[in-house]
Parts: sequence; structure tokens; C-alpha cells
Amino acid sequence: MNLKDSKNIVRACIVEITDDEIKPTDEMSLIGKDATLDSMKLVELCLALEDKATDLKFEFDWTSETAMSKSRSLFRTVSSLAEEFHAQSQNVQ
Amino acid sequence: MIIVTGASRGLGRSVAERLIESGEEVLGISRETKSLPFEAVAGDVADHKTLKSIAQKLRKEKRVLEGVVNAAGIASMNLAVTTPPSMTQKLIQTNLVGTIHCCQVFAPLMIRRKKGSIINFSTIAVALGLKGESIYAASKAGVEGFSRAFAREMADFNIRVNCVAPGPIKTDLLKGVSEEQIETIVSQQILPKVFEPRDVSDLCQFLLGPSSASLSGQVLHMGGA
Repeated sequence: MNLKDSKNIVRACIVEITDDEIKPTDEMSLIGKDATLDSMKLVELCLALEDKATDLKFEFDWTSETAMSKSRSLFRTVSSLAEEFHAQSQNVQ
Repeated sequence: MIIVTGASRGLGRSVAERLIESGEEVLGISRETKSLPFEAVAGDVADHKTLKSIAQKLRKEKRVLEGVVNAAGIASMNLAVTTPPSMTQKLIQTNLVGTIHCCQVFAPLMIRRKKGSIINFSTIAVALGLKGESIYAASKAGVEGFSRAFAREMADFNIRVNCVAPGPIKTDLLKGVSEEQIETIVSQQILPKVFEPRDVSDLCQFLLGPSSASLSGQVLHMGGA
């Protein structure tokens, strides 16, 4: 799985949890004042990604110290979340 | 399935056994699991990593989690000025941080189903401000504050979060407390009596079930405060 695949997975999960109401872009904000998803949807996104990761035979931990200690949150944008998802998928391979 | 922490003894054991009696599937979590007559896994609630791996296993096995009873806890009756710092850390780590850990790792299993009930354990010492229980009460006051806010976070997912706050209950933990001390505490309750573990189990069963569907973010003081 490459970074592009990860971005596609994150985008697909957002489309799924929002019932196709949101067309996600790479730079779409996930948290903060410009956030497109409310807190409930953000949690659902995390759970959806956790399920996808299980299908792909790795654990996605959105609360990991490493992920959260980065200078800016992994939830900053679709792109940053996809990068973290991809990084965690590579750690087990 | 209902998860009960601190299931090897005391109130946790009593709640677990009562739930099993009523036909519920129970998974106990406790540091000691030998000879427990129900399904149990070893784990310390202060250890987030272990709890997370238990949650991951349950998710992969597609176990249906309906409720969590966070009964694991420790007590220490001491004046604050005579309590060693290590005990202060231990009380906060087990009672408060342990409860938060369990809520963090097990709530997602219920969020997926958009249904569930979580019971956290406080103490009547918080409401009564009991002498000799300041640090214990501080750890449980943290549990109450966390539970009220967490209840709001979980409301969107149809998950209820409540606290049970017992006074003195007839368990092994009470053996080291003098009759005089027990009487002092009990006399401050609205119902001045020592309750049985069964009374705690009854309340937990009520909070886990549909009869309490209107309750979330509440602290239920046993005996009244």
C-alpha cells in the first residue's frame, strides 16, 4: 500500500460516514475552526480507519504517543491523517 | 457481554456474579484471575497497553459489548498529611486514571453499535467530604468529573455514563475499618445503614438495563448524601 492508497482509503471512509455528503480533498480540515466533520463524525472516521487497518493486517492507533506528539495533529487535514495511516501500515511490514 | 473490572473480589466480584445469575455474559478483568468461576482476563486498569490489547482482541473476535462496570479500585483511609506520596500516586493511578483508561479503550466497541452503558465507581466520601479519606475522595471526585463530561461526549452515540457512589458496604475491604468509623460515616447518610454488596449489584443491573434509559451523567449516592 502506498501513500496514494492511504489517501483513497481516508477519503472513502469520509464519504461513507457522511453518506456521500462530503467530497473530501487532501487539504480539507478535520479539526479546528474550519473542520468539516463534527466530533461525532471524527470518532466514526477513526473507527472506520481502524476497521480498514484490520482488513489490511495492521493496527491503526490514532491515540499513539508518536502520532499525537508530532508538532501538528494527525487530524489536521485529510492528507496528514492519510500520512499517519500510511506510516503505521509501513511499521508492521 | 458486560465487562467488569476488579472482578476478582469485593464489589466487582459481586456485580459480576449477579450479572451472570441474571443470564448476562460477563468478561472479568482483574490482576488475579485464577479460580474465577467466569470468563476473565488478567489486566491492571492502570496499564493502558494491556487494556488496549484486550479491546483489540474483543473487536477482532466480534464480541458484542453492551456495558462496562469499572469497579476496580483501591482505598486508603489516612489523613492527607500522613499519606506517603507513593500511595497518593497509586490511588490516583488506579481509581482515576484506570477508570479513564477503561472508558477510552472499551467505549469504541460500543460506539460502533451506538448503544451501551458505562458505570464508574465513586464513593459517598466525595459528597460527604469524609475526614481521613481526602486523597481517596480526590481520586473519586476526579472519576465523577470525568464521568459527567464523558457522558456528554458519549450521548451522541447512545452510550450512557453514570457513577455509583457507595458508602460502607459489607465486603473484605471493610474488615480493617473500626465499627466506630463505620458508624461515623453511616450516620451522615440519609439512610443510615450499611448496605450489602447485593444492593450495589442491584443498582448496577438497573443502570445497565433499559429501565435507566433516561439517566446519564448522574452520580447515584447509595444511602443518600
